[in-house]
Amino acid sequence: MYRYDEFDKAFVAARVAEFSDQVKRRLAGELTEDEFRPLRLRNGVYLQLHAYMLRVAIPYGTLSSRQMRKLAHIARCYDRGYGHFTTRQNIQFNWPRLVDIPEILSELADVEMHAIQTSGNCIRNITSDHFAGVAADEITDPRPYAEILRQWSSLHPEFSYLPRKFKFAIIGAQTDRAAIQLHDIGLRLNRNAVGELGFSFYIGGGQGRTPMVAKLLHEFIPVENLLHYATAIVRIYNLYGRRDNKYKARIKILVHETGFGQLREDIDVEFAALKRSERYDLTLLQADIEAINAYFCTPDLENHPNGRDTLVSLRLKDQAFDCWVDKNVTRHKHPDYAIVTISLKAIGGIPGNATAAQMDIVADLAERYSYNELRVSYHQNLVLPYVALQDLYAVYNVLVASSLASANIGQISDIIACPGLDYCSLANARSISIAQQISTRFSRPGYQEKIGEIQLNISGCINACGHHHAGHIGILGVEKKGTELYQLTLGGSAGNRCSIGEITGHGFAADEIVDAVETIIHTYLSLRIDHGEPFIDAYRRIGMMPFRQALYGTADKTAAE
Amino acid sequence: MALLTRQLLNRGRCPIPNDNKKIWGIGGFRENLYINVERREKEDHRKLILPLTQWKQQVMQTCSATCENDQIGIFVAAGDDIEPLLPFLSVIPLLALDFPVFDDGRSYSKAVQLRTCHFYLGELRAVGDILIDQVSNMIRCGFDTLEVTHSLTQVRLAAHSGEFFTGFYQSGAKLVRSGQRRVWYTFG
Ligand code: SF4
Repeated sequence: MYRYDEFDKAFVAARVAEFSDQVKRRLAGELTEDEFRPLRLRNGVYLQLHAYMLRVAIPYGTLSSRQMRKLAHIARCYDRGYGHFTTRQNIQFNWPRLVDIPEILSELADVEMHAIQTSGNCIRNITSDHFAGVAADEITDPRPYAEILRQWSSLHPEFSYLPRKFKFAIIGAQTDRAAIQLHDIGLRLNRNAVGELGFSFYIGGGQGRTPMVAKLLHEFIPVENLLHYATAIVRIYNLYGRRDNKYKARIKILVHETGFGQLREDIDVEFAALKRSERYDLTLLQADIEAINAYFCTPDLENHPNGRDTLVSLRLKDQAFDCWVDKNVTRHKHPDYAIVTISLKAIGGIPGNATAAQMDIVADLAERYSYNELRVSYHQNLVLPYVALQDLYAVYNVLVASSLASANIGQISDIIACPGLDYCSLANARSISIAQQISTRFSRPGYQEKIGEIQLNISGCINACGHHHAGHIGILGVEKKGTELYQLTLGGSAGNRCSIGEITGHGFAADEIVDAVETIIHTYLSLRIDHGEPFIDAYRRIGMMPFRQALYGTADKTAAE
Repeated sequence: MALLTRQLLNRGRCPIPNDNKKIWGIGGFRENLYINVERREKEDHRKLILPLTQWKQQVMQTCSATCENDQIGIFVAAGDDIEPLLPFLSVIPLLALDFPVFDDGRSYSKAVQLRTCHFYLGELRAVGDILIDQVSNMIRCGFDTLEVTHSLTQVRLAAHSGEFFTGFYQSGAKLVRSGQRRVWYTFG
């Protein structure tokens, strides 16, 4: 993984010093809350329902054992013993005191971590495929480019006061595991006809109250022009994105209101000007990329050819282990290794939460069995990217002992959920308790397996941090006449066939929503062709009508509203 | 300016009297050689700053921007397009780009465009709601001077060592890339 060079270290240290000064000025009353707000946001500090919340970046989702231990330490010493991993490869601490935050940031800097630009109207943490560098279907590892974008966008003088937040995601594989089409800019590495590397640029994706799937802006931008093109897009957005209404300020609205063709032309004009400018040379040279590559130490994997046989016999002996391997273990590009996903979705637990003790255990596992490396996934789980097949059983047994062995990746209880009304000042409804009830409801042995692959997402309000629009089943907390209601959407998807879910009809009360989900599941089970047809495929084949009929007793949309 | 005051009030901050403006650039505070058109009185011989719209009318009327115009700077509001200025950049001595509120970032992009794509060599001045925390970004985007009204910012700038460049990942508008460094790197 990437190690800081001297410059990176000095840069982060200077930012910590700068923010410590700003906190001091705030506590001394020299800055008003209004003036302090954009400064604290730039450093990942939110003011929430009960306390300040600190969001720490895990750039492109990669972290070391040492970094994970530091997160555990922070959870233990400055918070209430746990942290929450988010869909954007960040970790949130919900209870730090403002006076402690400079100290926390300085502890983070010791392990090459920071909270810079994890909030505010700037370019946010660059996210990536959590299987980057190890996936069997990869064209090339996207993380060096993610790191280049991270550096390029850090405290960018021109792009620090954008109309609204701006999110990049980048992948280098066939399968989109990072939801690139739900980002302001989604990048996919690919090769052109003569084998050169370049990027497909998608633009204007996003969720919130106007969910949109990003459109393909350019099929192939050569690697050397990555920063030219990214600068052109963000500059056009900075100049013309709306600033009069925060709900219309994302680039997706600019795309929509300007028209896709016109906006593309504007971007191309800026792109051409940037390529011409000798005063502002952004050409990405091979030497630059290699300089970054040199700071990524990719482990040299030893061969362990006997691991496969050991694994086969252990799976035959231990049924629970067999099931866990089936759900939580993914093929590695090295035949003697596997990628292990550690579920943070214990039945009845809080999706994405990990205790300090669990973080330490996972850090130990990574140190012992995964070349010191860990990943955080879009689905709010953790990943051990380099586990030899022969070590899988040992890893599994440690996870069992630490209540981290839920064999539910890709199942209905692998829920993406935002913190909701339990923590968030913007929430309309609780999301955690609904997630807990759903995972409990479907936890009966064999039930989840019968349902098969499905993605269920929950957001506590229309800001959609729980990505409900992109859930095969989405649940959105709304408030109607003072009561919490839950709206259902079906057919959303975040992957290669990205789509936004459709609303079923009127919402359900807190004590009805889990039954409604079960009604949907029963309908699916009765209508699917066979066990091999996942929920989303069945939905795409049969559409909304049978589900609406089952939920409301009518297939008519207006009647169901 | 009434608008600015209103915006400041809306943000719960005491409006700072506007006559307390000071012009600052790397090296310290300096004399303001310009006066806004609406504030100029008969005797005043300082150079003028005209709003872009008014300047455009004048150019249309005289069909020229050359004659006395090297005495006239232009105020460019955050929402103004710089397009009409482009043919005249070589004779415009000063462009005052507006920051109506500190988190309106449009004028940063305009400054960079003016410096790096249109090779503007005159004075670029940031005006409006300027706080200490924006100063480094402004300088890095190519501004020469800042018109500062916020009194605490004035105090901080007066006490400032001038050390704004502790190192950034991007080359600034006026800084040229140096040989072996990564393209997005610049040390100050
Ligand atoms: S979706 Fe709403 S409730 Fe949930 S975390 Fe985001 S803002 Fe808060």
